[in-house]
Amino acid sequence: MFDIFDATMTLITIVVPIFVLAFILYSVRIFKGPSVSDMVLAVDALSFDVAAFMCLLTLYFRSPFLITGAIILSLWAFALDIFIAKYYEKKEMGG
Amino acid sequence: MLEHIVFIIGAILVVIGAICDLIAAIGFLRFPNFFVRLHAATIGAIGGAVVPLFGVTLIALVSDYLGTFRYYVAGASFITAIFILLAAPTGSHALARATHKAKVVPVYPKVVDHLEEDRGGKG
Repeated sequence: MFDIFDATMTLITIVVPIFVLAFILYSVRIFKGPSVSDMVLAVDALSFDVAAFMCLLTLYFRSPFLITGAIILSLWAFALDIFIAKYYEKKEMGG
Repeated sequence: MLEHIVFIIGAILVVIGAICDLIAAIGFLRFPNFFVRLHAATIGAIGGAVVPLFGVTLIALVSDYLGTFRYYVAGASFITAIFILLAAPTGSHALARATHKAKVVPVYPKVVDHLEEDRGGKG
């Protein structure tokens, strides 16, 4: 059978360009978005995907520090959604 | 043998996630309207983030070269996946509802708008 370490490195080497291409396309929509809602939606999806990407990089670099940032990043994306939705409904940003 | 089977399942999940991510990014560029782009956002959040995180969980569980902290990586990936599975639909729904209520984006290619009629608008 194959070696799991080599197979993991090969898998991540194959998968990373697809992720980076998707990030570039998301960024085009973020900079181009006609309304604020489009930008927030794209930032939301981009943040969740960056969180998954960081977990992949944790396997690649064998470092446990990146994965703490993934949890925090997904929490912030959720908070951004709720803040913008509250601003649209009530026209104020208060807590 | 069992480790290799678990690794192959995890690798398939990661590849599926990457392809879903690319499809969602193309959809974000090509779809005409904010309310249509919500479909692409769902693919990008669930298919592009939750599925590869489950794959990373399975791969980390069988990676002996990580030493003791492979359980840390697996647990954190699993927690992140469960959180995104709960948070992404909630956030998208709140954003779509608020956008429709505040009339930030015109609902342009439409046949009928029952939500606007219920609020007393023209529909």
